[in-house]
Amino acid sequence: MPPPLVIETQALRKHFGSQHALDGVDLRVAPGAIGLLGPNGAGKSTLMKCLLQLQPITSGSAKLLGREVGTEGREIRKRVGYTPELDCHIPGMVGCEYVTYCAQLCGLPFQTARQRAHEMLDFVGMGQERYRKIDTYSTGMKQRLKLAQAIVHDPEIVFLDEPTNGLDPKGQAQILELVHSLWKTYGITVVVSSHLLHDVDRICEQIIIVARGKVLVHDSLQNLKARKRGAAEVVLADRHEELRSACSRQSWPCEMLPNGHLRVEHNADSLNPLLELLHSLQLAPLEIIPSPNALEETFLQALDLSNAAP
Amino acid sequence: MPLHDSSYKHWEGAHLGLWRRRLAITSNGLNACLENKAIRNLSVVCWTTSLLLVGILFAIGQLLVPDSIIIQWVENLNPQLQAFATMLTSWLAQNPGLSVRAVQNVLFYYYSVYLLRLTIFALGMALPFLITRDLASNAIIIYSSKAVSRGDYLLGKFATACGLIFLTWLGPILAAWVVGNLLAPDWSFFWHSRTVLLHILLHGLATATILSVLALGVSAISQKEKTTTGTWFVWWILGGVVTPIALQTKPWLQHLGFNYNVDQIALAIFRIGDDLRTAQDELPVLGDMLRTVSASTMQQLNSPAITGAIVGLLVAMSAAIVIISKKVKPE
Repeated sequence: MPPPLVIETQALRKHFGSQHALDGVDLRVAPGAIGLLGPNGAGKSTLMKCLLQLQPITSGSAKLLGREVGTEGREIRKRVGYTPELDCHIPGMVGCEYVTYCAQLCGLPFQTARQRAHEMLDFVGMGQERYRKIDTYSTGMKQRLKLAQAIVHDPEIVFLDEPTNGLDPKGQAQILELVHSLWKTYGITVVVSSHLLHDVDRICEQIIIVARGKVLVHDSLQNLKARKRGAAEVVLADRHEELRSACSRQSWPCEMLPNGHLRVEHNADSLNPLLELLHSLQLAPLEIIPSPNALEETFLQALDLSNAAP
Repeated sequence: MPLHDSSYKHWEGAHLGLWRRRLAITSNGLNACLENKAIRNLSVVCWTTSLLLVGILFAIGQLLVPDSIIIQWVENLNPQLQAFATMLTSWLAQNPGLSVRAVQNVLFYYYSVYLLRLTIFALGMALPFLITRDLASNAIIIYSSKAVSRGDYLLGKFATACGLIFLTWLGPILAAWVVGNLLAPDWSFFWHSRTVLLHILLHGLATATILSVLALGVSAISQKEKTTTGTWFVWWILGGVVTPIALQTKPWLQHLGFNYNVDQIALAIFRIGDDLRTAQDELPVLGDMLRTVSASTMQQLNSPAITGAIVGLLVAMSAAIVIISKKVKPE
């Protein structure tokens, strides 16, 4: 029996005057780590806000965790977490007070709320800074705090709107690792909205590409990569030229990338021909990355189709 | 390696009801208000004045006891006052209902009207903690993403304003009534002053509702604390300045200030003009002295401009509700 759907929408529309932010969105999303991709202004944040009832729906219907969004908003939000893109906090509060308060707003008794607030602050890696006023936090600390307030009430699904905005590479990696663990280890469905394909590629299993208020692609990352088979990146310690020559003999386009990897277009559904070639050359690659730019290519292709449409 | 388990833990407990979530908003708002030193000090001043009123009520109660320290003190002060004190005491003893009710009614009217000034000041200081700061920091989005609606948020903030009013105004008044009557020579004081309690509660609930809605409206005007606080104090002070001028020129202008309108409601509830008339007619010696009160003052006390006050307050509250509904949104 398939798991129950977490998000269901039918002809969902959201109009701001003459602008159609969402234009007939139909989705049926199973639990998992879901990446919501799209260029700026595509409608990703609006879709999240409509599902959370932060924006009223113009027409159509939406269900979150099996409940009707329009009529059961409070009940839904008890089981949902949200980290907005903007800096949102309650001024004058210290970090642990703030997370405790957010838990209370979801219906947790004070003692439990306080205990969970500390647990979640531990989980997101905040130390003694939790006793400082939020107004003094760095961007990285604020992002961690936003994540802590979103999961403090143990939600079944968490919406993360641009969770790595303004973070340095190390901070980005840490936040993405935490988000990844939410689904992989603890079974909490995660919906990550981002325009950074690399982030989504790293942690998500399902991809939804949105542009001009419409869903262009909704599939698993695995399927998307399968569609883009025929290329791979080979990481070698040495003997790069040897492989390049062998590829040219096979009429496989091969180029050296700036990161030192060799990109080989072997034009086959599987990696076997490439592996055989490497074997024949007695080359031991450090790593082979199949379909390395599948997501980016799918994304650009979907956008091109969307732009070409009337 | 961390010293303790920092992994994620699931929670299995039951969620608390909606009213507890609203209460969390209220208590958080009140805590934020009380972190402000000025508001804390004002609360202390308000409760101190309550002690003064208790002292006055105790002294008045002692007038009904023939051999009380106060009567003896008055007699020792001036033997000529002895006859007057005896006469007053016996009159008060014969009309306990009238004397206790009328005296307390007048006292509590003036006490509540003047103490309200401090409360209005405290509300002005508390405006940033109601809605202004939440607007400035986008906290409305956080509230809206939790298991509370916009209505719950506003209800919580409304209760915060009401709580502050209770702390600085209605609380001290009610405490003065209870303790003042507890210290009275007779338990019957509670019974004789029951209508006063009713007046206090009516006035308190009406004023708390009105001022809370107005405070929320002004608090939602802007994201800047100085703007909202300034608007409140300018409105209050201008109302006070305009009232005497408007009385001579265009009387309806008096209703532009909320404090004048609230005062008129207090007059309509406490009806102290009736008490003054009764005292003029029935109180020996002192009644004659009270007849010197000017006709215009008696006119103001007897017929408050209640219709204008209600209309003025309804208009102001409607404007506040419109501002709140336009400004307090997640986006």
